[in-house]
Amino acid sequence: MTATVTPRRRKSGPGPAVMLLVGLFVLLMTIFIIGPLVWLGLHAFSESWSYPNLLPSSWTMRWWQVVLSDKSLGVAVQNSLFFAPMTVLLSSIICLPAAYAFARHEFWGRRTFLIGLFATNAFPKMGLFVTIASLFYALNLMNTITGVLIIHILGTVVFMTWIPAAAFAAVPRSLEEAARDAGASKLRVLTSVTLPMAFPGILVAMVMSFLASFDEAQGTYLVGAPVFMTMPTQMYSLVLNYPNQVAAVFSILLAIPSVALMTAAHKHIAGGHLAEGFQIK
Amino acid sequence: MTVTLPERTADAGTTSVRKRRTFRPVGFLLALPPVLLILVFVGFPIVLALGFSLGFTGGLNHTVAIIGQNVHESTSGFGTLAAYQEVFSNQRFLTDLGVTVLVTVLATVLVISLALGIGLFLKLRGGRIARLLSGLAIVPLFIPVVISSWAILTFYSGDGFMRSFFAHLGVEFPVWSFTMVAVIIGSVWTSLPFATLMITSGLQAVPDAMIEAARDAGAGFVRIVLSVIVPMAFIPIIIATTFTAIGVVGSFTVPYFLGPNSPNMLGVDMSNYFSSFNQPQQSVVMAFAVFVIASGLAALYVWANFRSAKEQGKA
Amino acid sequence: MTLFSTRDETEVSTTTEPALGGAPAGDGGNRAASGEGLTVRGLHKVLGGRTIIDNLDLQVNEGELVSLLGPSGCGKTTTLRMIAGFLDPDGGSIQVNGREVSHLGAEKRPSAMVFQNYALWPHMTVFKNVAFPLKLRKRPKKEIEERVDAVLELVNLLHHKQSRPARISGGEQQRVALARALVQEPQLLLLDEPLSNLDAKLRVKVREDIRGIQQRLGITTVIVTHDQEEAMSISDRIAVMNAGKIEQFSTPADLYARPRTEFVATFVGSLNRFEGSYRDGRISDGSDVVGVRPEDVKFSREPVPGSLPAVVERVVPRGHFQELFLRREDALLRSFASGESPAVGEAGHALITRAMTFRGDQRVDADQPVNGGQA
Repeated sequence: MTATVTPRRRKSGPGPAVMLLVGLFVLLMTIFIIGPLVWLGLHAFSESWSYPNLLPSSWTMRWWQVVLSDKSLGVAVQNSLFFAPMTVLLSSIICLPAAYAFARHEFWGRRTFLIGLFATNAFPKMGLFVTIASLFYALNLMNTITGVLIIHILGTVVFMTWIPAAAFAAVPRSLEEAARDAGASKLRVLTSVTLPMAFPGILVAMVMSFLASFDEAQGTYLVGAPVFMTMPTQMYSLVLNYPNQVAAVFSILLAIPSVALMTAAHKHIAGGHLAEGFQIK
Repeated sequence: MTVTLPERTADAGTTSVRKRRTFRPVGFLLALPPVLLILVFVGFPIVLALGFSLGFTGGLNHTVAIIGQNVHESTSGFGTLAAYQEVFSNQRFLTDLGVTVLVTVLATVLVISLALGIGLFLKLRGGRIARLLSGLAIVPLFIPVVISSWAILTFYSGDGFMRSFFAHLGVEFPVWSFTMVAVIIGSVWTSLPFATLMITSGLQAVPDAMIEAARDAGAGFVRIVLSVIVPMAFIPIIIATTFTAIGVVGSFTVPYFLGPNSPNMLGVDMSNYFSSFNQPQQSVVMAFAVFVIASGLAALYVWANFRSAKEQGKA
Repeated sequence: MTLFSTRDETEVSTTTEPALGGAPAGDGGNRAASGEGLTVRGLHKVLGGRTIIDNLDLQVNEGELVSLLGPSGCGKTTTLRMIAGFLDPDGGSIQVNGREVSHLGAEKRPSAMVFQNYALWPHMTVFKNVAFPLKLRKRPKKEIEERVDAVLELVNLLHHKQSRPARISGGEQQRVALARALVQEPQLLLLDEPLSNLDAKLRVKVREDIRGIQQRLGITTVIVTHDQEEAMSISDRIAVMNAGKIEQFSTPADLYARPRTEFVATFVGSLNRFEGSYRDGRISDGSDVVGVRPEDVKFSREPVPGSLPAVVERVVPRGHFQELFLRREDALLRSFASGESPAVGEAGHALITRAMTFRGDQRVDADQPVNGGQA
């Protein structure tokens, strides 16, 4: 124990047995969480791999070529990169003003609305998509961009209202009032004080929405296939029709945007914005 | 729900005095778009589906009723429970319902225990190991569910890591892929980040002084956890529990990839009945069965939130 | 706080006043140090490479109320937390009634603490909060009930037994926290800035309550505070802390009259401070620090021996006295004066009856009032 470390609980300090248990737990958690990802990642570079070897016997980049030269997979990547940002954009336009209203206005039905939005989460996605199909047929939304976008936006509404609402509510009113006092218009207060201060929460909501859209497979498949295939929907067919390694390569590609975005927003997510967002106030 | 709801802003005690009991059209109108979206594309289809499941095959249900097979039609104006009777007397459905509930309970218990363990470790001891653990638990958030399901499938498969590793030790490890064990593992894997975030932040919000006061009063570790930390972080724990359970009970991807053909969870059955068996009405009935369970959990969540508001003297 | 009912106030003050009346200030210092009470020796704490507490010694006699007084960051709360067992010292010993406790966790120590923000558990009622320590000790239900009732009666909160902490006022919360500490019948009571969250008026009342109860129970008590007035008014003795050390440990009256360092003189009470030297009632150039208490500056219309001509520059009414700013040829002096106030611009004479001289922070003058004058 060095002088620079604060020993918080020396009295109840861990014995060797406890430390061993903790170490074991950390090891098991690492295997449990990281193991499958590493294992899958290795497949993307493996030429041949026979049981029970822990590493492939020969390596190759062939599977990457297969994936990168496959037209339909390329289209799926393009589609995903179109739907996800569009979903975030549209969902922001629809939901952010509402989030602000939930945070700053008192109006009839506020809590009912909040709970109602949450309730969409309670209805199983698969069941919802089954039921939505009839409506989409009637409205001619099957196999349309609009239809897919609607499916994607539905999955983001809870994130986009609840999390930013908590972020808006956390902006001290006195700061807004100080800006008004300094002569700022209502709009100016919103753009100069409220939005920047609530930004981390909004960012978290946007990242979560992006990922929700990027991951959405069931609904997209039902409404968009075979006209609009996205990366996750392709993944379903890949798993069935291609060698294991191709799915591994595709998985890595599919994970890149998620990992990049989540890493960027990780600080804020771990900082409690996600957790804050899910308490009714 | 009345108009006399409490103030929602976090900064209580500021100078602004706002009128209550007045209808405020601006806020209402701003809040309307997502609500309308949900009403039209979730609420309305659900009502439609409810009608369909009760045998009302007219209107927008017409197409699906014609395409679908084995559709029970209502002959009276009150609807018919024939579809429900059929599904609920189907042994496979009942088994799958049991499996769904069991997986949900087991996965939720595991997830919450892990999240609580990590959260308590972080709160009471801190340090690098605790941060490492909580970091680990959040990793699955970064990975799309399709991929994680696939990764878990290969990891526990016949030629997967676990079998290979234990084969080197001379131990025959079971094949978990395409079993309910893998479904539970996958559910825990995918649900862990949210629960951990929710619970760690809830535990962190318990002021250190509250814990110290309990130590000062003579409480040991277990008493501090049971009498102070858990009750004070009750809401985040309940939220984590309900969200986890709701997520698992209606899940599709994880059981679809990892589970056996039968018995499996209802999410997979719904999909099968809809696309493979072309029996949309039965599929919808199952959706409502899951919905009832999920609504019960959602009600618990709403109740917990109101309870906390009451406790803090807000309501 | 505004919810405080008048009924409460009268009740509390009537119960505490007799105790207060019979309390001669500073009697604790007379008792012999016999290993009873709290004995801290060589306490040392380093945090982040910085010495926070530097080889600190402290003896609190049984039944005595001692304040740790100092500016923020002086180490007073750190000291208290080490005594309570929330922080491990890097060295030194802590004894309560002759028993070494520094190796024990907070839950095992015979001390009880009142936290700065009260740390009342919001999910428990007032009764449950106070009963919690007894429940942990597995006392019979009936005994718990009786003891909690008794202590709630002592702090006058019996009527809030079933209330939640969030529903009662700040002053009441403070008293619940006190009750929760007292119900443990601790050998040592520790209070961390117990009044800092109360408004000014309530602060005076609650501190008198605390003093009254402390005296009635004869409980050894250590209070951390940064408010010198608070420390002066309730303590038997005060340990003035600065930069991890106790600068001076004495009775309030002694600290005020005979500060040993410039820091103590400035921190306790009000002081005119000059860089220079003091001789024959005047301040002249020099390299020392001269401190003059405002009450040791006398203004008169007629000259007196040792006085110098002065003009009243400002008069600040302070309620029952005035603060005068007096311009003399050597310095601008603040003076506390009672009675009829002179007018601004009025010319007269100002006399320094007593001054202190510090060199390198230490007091260097003989501790004698000048000219026989007395504040």
